[in-house]
Amino acid sequence: MDYPIWNLALGGGVLIGIVAITHVLVSHFAIGGGLAIAIIETLAVRRRDPALRALAKRSSLMLILVSTVFGAISGVGIWVTIGLVQPAATSALIHNYVWGWAAEWGFFILEVVTALLYYATWDKVRPRTHLVIIWLYFFAAFMSLVIIQGILSFMLTPGNWLESHSFWAGFFNPSYVPGLVLRTGICLFLAGAYLTLAALRESDAAARLRMVRLLAVFQVTGALLAYGGYRWWEHALPGSVQAIFLGAKALLPALASTRHLVLWALAFYLLLALYALASPRWHRWPSAVAALLAAFVFFGGYERLREGARKPFVIRDYMFSNGVLVSEIGALNQRGILSKAGWVQLGGDGSAEAKGRAVFRAQCASCHTLDGYLSIRKLVAPVDPDMLRGILTTLREEGNEYSSAGYVHQGHIATEKLDYPLMPPLVGTDAEVDALASYLLSLKPSNVAEVSHAK
Amino acid sequence: MQSNLIPALDPAPLPGPQWLFHVLWVVTFLIHLTFVNTVLGGSLLAALAGFTRSGRREIQTTFVEINSWAISLAITFGIAPLLFMQVLFGRFFYTATILVAWAWLGMLVVLTVAYYLNYVAKFRLRAGKGAAGVLVVEALGFLAIAAIQVTVNLLHLQPARWEQVAANSMAALSDPTFVPRFLHFVLAAVAMAGALLAWVAVRRAGNGGEPAALGGMARFGVRAALIATLLQLVDGFWLLLALPEGVLRALMRGGPVTMVPLGLGILAGVLLLLVLAQISDPLAQPAKVRRVAELIIGAMVFMVLTRHQLRDIYLAPSRGDEHVAVAPQWGVLAMFLVVFVVCVGLTIYAVVRAVKDRPGPGEQAA
Repeated sequence: MDYPIWNLALGGGVLIGIVAITHVLVSHFAIGGGLAIAIIETLAVRRRDPALRALAKRSSLMLILVSTVFGAISGVGIWVTIGLVQPAATSALIHNYVWGWAAEWGFFILEVVTALLYYATWDKVRPRTHLVIIWLYFFAAFMSLVIIQGILSFMLTPGNWLESHSFWAGFFNPSYVPGLVLRTGICLFLAGAYLTLAALRESDAAARLRMVRLLAVFQVTGALLAYGGYRWWEHALPGSVQAIFLGAKALLPALASTRHLVLWALAFYLLLALYALASPRWHRWPSAVAALLAAFVFFGGYERLREGARKPFVIRDYMFSNGVLVSEIGALNQRGILSKAGWVQLGGDGSAEAKGRAVFRAQCASCHTLDGYLSIRKLVAPVDPDMLRGILTTLREEGNEYSSAGYVHQGHIATEKLDYPLMPPLVGTDAEVDALASYLLSLKPSNVAEVSHAK
Repeated sequence: MQSNLIPALDPAPLPGPQWLFHVLWVVTFLIHLTFVNTVLGGSLLAALAGFTRSGRREIQTTFVEINSWAISLAITFGIAPLLFMQVLFGRFFYTATILVAWAWLGMLVVLTVAYYLNYVAKFRLRAGKGAAGVLVVEALGFLAIAAIQVTVNLLHLQPARWEQVAANSMAALSDPTFVPRFLHFVLAAVAMAGALLAWVAVRRAGNGGEPAALGGMARFGVRAALIATLLQLVDGFWLLLALPEGVLRALMRGGPVTMVPLGLGILAGVLLLLVLAQISDPLAQPAKVRRVAELIIGAMVFMVLTRHQLRDIYLAPSRGDEHVAVAPQWGVLAMFLVVFVVCVGLTIYAVVRAVKDRPGPGEQAA
């Protein structure tokens, strides 16, 4: 809220989701694909199998185009997007984890250079050197995941970092290892599903069967690891998040539905993988494409779940999605939200409506747009003035629960006990809340029509 | 400007001493810039190669092959300076990017397209087809990225312009130093890519390459570097004089700290021009071609230092009351250094092994 707000009809969170899900798909494939290609080429050398060698070779161009081109750019894309949409949170993460990211960058240098070398040295170096290069690639790519998982999981379960602010306490947080197991499984099953498509292009039937069966091992192992990791990860989440996942809150059916979708997609994927293992001859394009789609649904759904589970925070129990810190609720109720939100007041004429709009932009605009994603105009349309004031009063009182730690359970704020568990509390002075109420009521269609008519 | 538009300092302390972040930022930025110059200048020269009489295909192929590595490395080495810069100046940087958000985000789309076009050109040239049109579009893409980078850079230095740009984002381009700074960037890239091209031609000629085509390639490179450096000297003074009066005065009155890097940078540019002017047949003057490359690297080092000092001067009024808390994470910093050294070591090992290892007689290749 200290920063200018980028008005995006699509919604900033949706944009982050699109860029992030695209990137994680690519980056996890780059890791699993690296391992799969390393194993395939190792077997090709040991068995003197030209068909396996050809599979590794034709998959390596895809690895380059995906890993070093799209993966690298979409990785920077996440930085760009979160900096635009959540600058305060990005700054908080950078200040705590810059050395972690810098270490990951070291692995990334090794990953990019070995990926390029691997592709460039086909038919040029001895097989042993080629294998050293691809195994180095996999090592670097996996170590990137080992580091980045610490930072990603910190945002959802910061653990003892909340008290100590220690790098390692936040890094090795409760969901770190479960998430790492889950993501390792995802790497394997994404690679298995994609490379199966490449293997199906093999014209020699016997060779094709060997490849499909080998890749099915990847798929089954990946799916089982992902399932175990997912269950463990869910178990490591704060009780309040688990309660929402399990559908305790009638108001929030979306996360529970996504969870069902995720688990069913994984079960479907596992079935297809077992089918490929048992009957590689019959595993052809339709079932292979279906497996890849199921893998995408599981992974995309899981990422959506992870993002959703963090709400209303961007860093759980520390910073809300609108940039307000849990620790500053009391002070902002005294001083007013506009005391630290200069940008939202630009262009205002000092009127009550301008003040209300500024409060809206400071606290609500990180999620709600006027007419686009989570349109506030649509949301207030059916609400009468008394009801609106009731909602705002409740949201404001919930701020007191946060700051007084009234709903703390097992060290976490038990958001499921709140009436609006996915929304940050409303902070600010009484006058600001009144101004916000007036502004929101002015957006109701009848009022807009009256104003237009009066003009 | 409203005084409260500059976001507050992040409440978290810096996880290391400020000087260390500055050093890491400058060093990693230099490496990044070397690859960026290669990519930008290389793509421009590859596009312009269509107008040469001899060595056209060699020039295009050389840059397309180099760029398929250099673009990746430019992105990879861009991550570190971006990280360290955000630690020190995040509140200025984020604000500037949000003010031109669509352009900043669009830069990634342009980068993706330009990168894939480089692969399109690479495969077309390998197949014996033409790629002139593809190369022109690729070069335009990288020029657009350079313009966006310069815009954000200038904007983050000048909070006084933020309110104006918030009202009209096109005002982001209205800074008097925008054009000379953009040209400074582009001309430096062309000079470096030209020198690189000449150096590659000299190396290939030494390894028994075809002299006629390599001669054309080397002459094209030297000519491009010469013209770019000549224009750079004019543009450099334009840029200096276009600086806001207070900034220029602070730079000039900074004593040896600011004047030595600036003076040495200008001196390297003048020497570069003199050496380039002496090269009539690059293949016969390999020592001079190598000297050109050394002078360009030298000029780049000093100009990056000056650029860094200019940032401090620009932002000094906005950071007057800044009290930065520092709580170094020494253990994690040590981990980073160990990881970095190990990874760079393994990278060098892999490159050396890939370059030197060749199958013996009767042995199969991978």
